Order: sequence, then C-alpha cells, then structure tokens
Amino acid sequence: MASINHQASALKTGQVVLLVLLYIFLYFPLLFITYDSFVHNIIWPFPPEWTLEWYQKLLGMSDFHAGLKNSFYIGLFTAIPATLFSTAAVIGLLKYRTRWRGGMILLYISPLFVPGLLIGISTLMFNANVMGMSGKLISAIIANTTEDIAFSFLVILAQLVRYDWRMDEAAMVFGATPAQVFWEVTLPTIWPAILGAFLVSFILAFNNLEISYYNLGAIPTLPTIAWGSLRHGIKPELFALATVINMLVFSAIAGLFFLIQTGMVRFGYRGE
Amino acid sequence: MDTNKFLFFFKDMQTSSYALQLVEVEKQFGDVRAVDNVSLEVKKGEFFALLGPSGSGKTTLLRIIAGLESAGKGSVFIGGKNVTKNPPYARGIGMVFQDFLLFPHKTVGENIAFPLKMKKMSATHQQEQLSWVLDLVRMKGYEDRFPNQLSGGQKQRVALARGLVARPDILLLDEPLANLDRELRKEMEVEMRRFQAEIDIPFVYVTHNQEEALTLSNRIAVMKDGHFEQVGDKLELYDEPATAFVASFLGLNNTISGEVLRQENDFSFIDWKGIELKIPTPNGIKPGDRIAYYLRSEKMHINPHGKSNPVDGSITLTAVLRDIIFKGQYSDYFVILDNDEEMVISDVPDIESLKIGGKVDVSWLPSSGFSFAADGEE
Ligand SMILES: Nc1ncnc2c1ncn2[C@@H]1O[C@H](COP(=O)(O)OP(=O)(O)OP(=O)(O)O)[C@@H](O)[C@H]1O
Ligand SMILES: [Mg+2]
Repeated sequence: MASINHQASALKTGQVVLLVLLYIFLYFPLLFITYDSFVHNIIWPFPPEWTLEWYQKLLGMSDFHAGLKNSFYIGLFTAIPATLFSTAAVIGLLKYRTRWRGGMILLYISPLFVPGLLIGISTLMFNANVMGMSGKLISAIIANTTEDIAFSFLVILAQLVRYDWRMDEAAMVFGATPAQVFWEVTLPTIWPAILGAFLVSFILAFNNLEISYYNLGAIPTLPTIAWGSLRHGIKPELFALATVINMLVFSAIAGLFFLIQTGMVRFGYRGE
Repeated sequence: MDTNKFLFFFKDMQTSSYALQLVEVEKQFGDVRAVDNVSLEVKKGEFFALLGPSGSGKTTLLRIIAGLESAGKGSVFIGGKNVTKNPPYARGIGMVFQDFLLFPHKTVGENIAFPLKMKKMSATHQQEQLSWVLDLVRMKGYEDRFPNQLSGGQKQRVALARGLVARPDILLLDEPLANLDRELRKEMEVEMRRFQAEIDIPFVYVTHNQEEALTLSNRIAVMKDGHFEQVGDKLELYDEPATAFVASFLGLNNTISGEVLRQENDFSFIDWKGIELKIPTPNGIKPGDRIAYYLRSEKMHINPHGKSNPVDGSITLTAVLRDIIFKGQYSDYFVILDNDEEMVISDVPDIESLKIGGKVDVSWLPSSGFSFAADGEE
C-alpha cells in the first residue's frame, strides 16, 4: 500500500515539474521582454533600474501611431470577411451533405500549408500586375483574408461538427422560415464559435508580418516597424512595442476568459 | 358553375373530412425504397399508430408528411389542402421528436411559445396559449428553466407542449417515448391518451413497440420495407392479422411451420417436425405446400398430464414443463413438446399442481391461431 502511494505521489510530483517546465518554456521569453521593457539597464537587467523611457521613445516614434492604426485596420477588415466567409462555408458544408465534402474541406484549409511568404509574394504579384493596386492596405487585407479564412474555417468547423442540425429542422416544422431559423436557433447557439474565429483572425492579421510585408510597400504596421527597426540593431523601444502588442492580445483573451467565467458567454454547443 | 370547377370543389370537400391524406407516396434513397406507394387517411381526432421494425421507413414517412423530406411521387393533404409542394413551415403541423430537440438556449416558456412567436401572435394571446398548454402537460412553474435543468419526462412534456401549443391540424410523433425508462413510459402513455382525448387533435404516432401501439391508438398501420402490410382498427389487426408479418409483429409468440399433408373441410393437417397438427387452411394452399401457423400464448391452456378438460375440438399435446415466469395475473409457462420444440403458454398461476420438470398437457383450439403460406423463411 505504502509503496503504491509513494509511487503515485512521485508520479504526481514529476507531472507538476513537467508542467512548470512547459510553462516556463512557453512564457519565459515573453515575460523577460516585458520585464526588460521597464528597466534602464537592458543588457544585464539585475538588479533592475525601473524606467518608462522606452515607452516614451516608442510613443515618440513617428511611425508608431500610423502603424498601430494600420495594424488595427488590417486585423479588423480581415477578420470580418474571413469570419463571414468561413461561417457560411462551414454551415453549407455541414448542412448539405455531398460526397465531395473531404475535397472541399481540403480546398478551404490548404492556404495553411502554403508558406505565408509565398502568399505574400504571389498576392503582391497578382494585385500589382493584374489588379493594378500595389502597396495598398487593401492588398494586405485581401492577402491576409485568404489565410485567415482557412484558420477561422478550422476554428468554426471544430465547434460546429457538434451542432445538431435537426434543431433547425425542428424550428422549421414549428413555422420558422430559413432566415428565422438562422436568427432564432442557429446563430444563438453557434455565435461563440464565430466570435472565437473572429478573434483568432483578428489577432493573426494584426500580428502578421510575412503576408502583409510585400503588399504594403511603405505603409507601416506594428510588425513591419519592429522588423524594420531590427535591421538597425536591437533597440529597447522594440521591447516596449512587443509588450504593447502582447498586452493587447492578452487583454483580448483575458476579457473573453472573464466573460466565460462569469457565464456571460458559453463556448461551444451545450447539448441538453 | 362549370363541371371541372364543381368536381374540384367536390374533391376538396372529400379530402377535407380527413386531417391527413397520403396518396401513393414514394421515396427512394439510392437503392433503398424507404417508402413504397403508401396511401393513408387519418380522420380528425384520431390516434393513429405507425408500427414497424427498424428501417421499415416510419421516420421517412413522417418526414415526408412534415415536409422535411420531399416525396419522390404522390401527394400529401393536410387539413384538406394539398401541401405536397409546401415547405415545412407552411404546413400547419406540430411534431415531437425522438430526442426531444428542445432549443438549448431558450427557456421552457420560450421553447413552448416558439411556434406562436413564428406565427407573430400577439403577446397576450401567446401568454394565454402558453398557460393553457402548460396546464395540459402539468408543467406550470417551469417556464423559466432551461432544457438542461429538466428530467427526461419533463423534457418530454415540454416537447409535447411545443408540438401542441399552436393547435396544429395534426401532431406527428416519432417514437416520443423511446428514450424514457419503462416506468416513465407507462406513465406517459396514459398522459398521451389524455392529451389527445382532451384537445381532439389527431396524432400520428410512430413506434416499433407493438404494446405501445395497441395501448395508445385507435387505428394502426403495420409497416414493412416501406409499404403498409395492413391498416385497420387495432382490434381488427390483433384478431385478424392479414399477413404472417403482422401476426408475428403483433405478439403472436408461438410460430409453427410445416408441410401440409392433407386437407379436410376448412382444416389442413401439417407435419410439424414429427407431430401431426390440425390448423385452419390458409387461402389457396394445397397439400405439399409449406405454411406458418401463429398461436397467441394467452389463447392456450396448460394442465397437469391427464387432468386436462379441453373444450370441444381442442388439440391436446403432451409436453414437459421447463420454466415458469410469474407475471401477476397470469404466468408464462415454457414447455418442451415431444418433438423437442418449445412453446410458451400464458395461463392462470397454478403452483399447486404444475411443477418444473413435470409432464403437462397443452391444449388449444385450432381456429384460435392464424395460418399463412410460408414465404420461404423458416
Ligand atoms: N437520408 C437517407 N439517405 C439514405 N437512406 C436513408 C436516409 N434516411 C433513411 N434511409 C433509409 O431508408 C430506410 C428507412 O429508414 P427510416 O429511418 O425511415 O426507418 P425507421 O422505420 O424510422 O427505422 P427506426 O425504427 O430504426 O427509426 C432505411 O433503410 C434507411 O437506411
Ligand atoms: Mg425512425
């Protein structure tokens, strides 16, 4: 008995250690940068000399405001069409069974297998040579939408495979037209999946460098500013920039988590 | 009035005396003919059961009536109107689904009022109907709960209430009790009958449980491989099954098969694995044909060997009593006959003289069973 208990507790300790190591692996670099962005002595920041000067410098950077605004636009205007398209795609695919289903899913998600760099370059060539619009925000938005349709498709598909479409049939029998079925029954059940896909698309497009870069030309975004300034050596303002971006993303996720915890939002389809 | 118009009017008059009428409805799924040339009339206020084994096409037929499946051929009339081409939301029906399909994000009240809301009924009117139906299904006070806060039986009542609240021309029910445990099923069977009688809306009730069909309905259609084997009053089906399938499906628990040896008057004598047995002659059967004979256990009697006192014309066979299952009012006696075949007899309990392993006499009237030409299968 005692030895079994002993083994069990040893196993448990091992698991905890592994877990802690995993979290350190995941988050230590991020936490270190955050920490570093608040100290003056960035090379060997122990003991710390606290300062906000990097943030002041960041705010003073000429491109920062434009970059933040552009990143936000790319995020928002990519996430909206990507979410709408992928929601429609998933619903169509799940509701109307066809033997081409497997192939169609593959076509939707194949942009995930193409390197972002290639999407960036090829959309640039297409947009510039065929559409005649190089170096525009809209080109970057279109290019990011390609990739983010694939991502949000996966996010929504993962949730909606559990949705019971007979629920829609039931609503229809009780007098709901297809539009009423969608607003009354489908959407209220699946909207958390759609919101999740929207957030993922937004964050991906907001942070994207390699797809946006070629399409943007001289237009700055936060990632292109970071990338650009990296070429002149690591500047401490970059740490502040990274922290700002991380905070934005983190607060989006934390806000969502709060909504779930307080029961204001339920994720996924809750069956009976 | 020209003749055509008059005829049309007349036809409408005829159909409108039925709540539901199906005319030669058909549905094909690939190689499977799920519904095969089905015609049916359900009268107003009737409790109609659709009985059949798994895969016989009951659900498909119900979905065609609801408009969830398009009929390949044929027409559907509801309340006298041809609705064959109408979508489900323009048919004026209610439905209760096997796993309830309550909307998980709506409260009980919202779930039940859903059909009224879709009809754009005024709020006061909705409230009236809601409170009427909540009374009917005895769910007053549960309006604000969510479906996942209800027991199975309560969900069942909510599903029923939602089906009935808009007072549809007809209520379709697809095995509504299949997911409930035995106790609850018995209780709900009684409730179902009460609802139906109280509101006078015709029910089309799908089940594969013959007992449920016999308990609940006025009329029954027995379905097999997409077609109706027999449609009729429940007693008619019970007392005069038209086919071997109906007989076996309606709980005729002793099946005897054999070859016809000779015929006398209306009776045939068959060779049942070595025992010569007298049975009623099925239509068009001659010596040498194979037949199947179905006997209901409660039409048979069992007595200790040599103590039987059979009515005139009875057949008596000797057997060994293998087992007794006590059922209250009666017991099921399992016996082995001289030809090693087993039979079950339902008779009054008699622990005094009937002992397991003892010799017994089994008797019945040949005319109390049903015989059919055997269709190849044993
Ligand atoms: N959508 C479909 N596609 C292909 N075949 C189908 C479809 N729906 C039903 N079938 C077939 O049609 C036949 C009848 O099915 P149906 O569901 O109507 O049977 P059922 O009598 O309701 O059976 P159960 O008692 O098991 O519910 C079956 O052979 C089934 O496989
Ligand atoms: Mg079924």
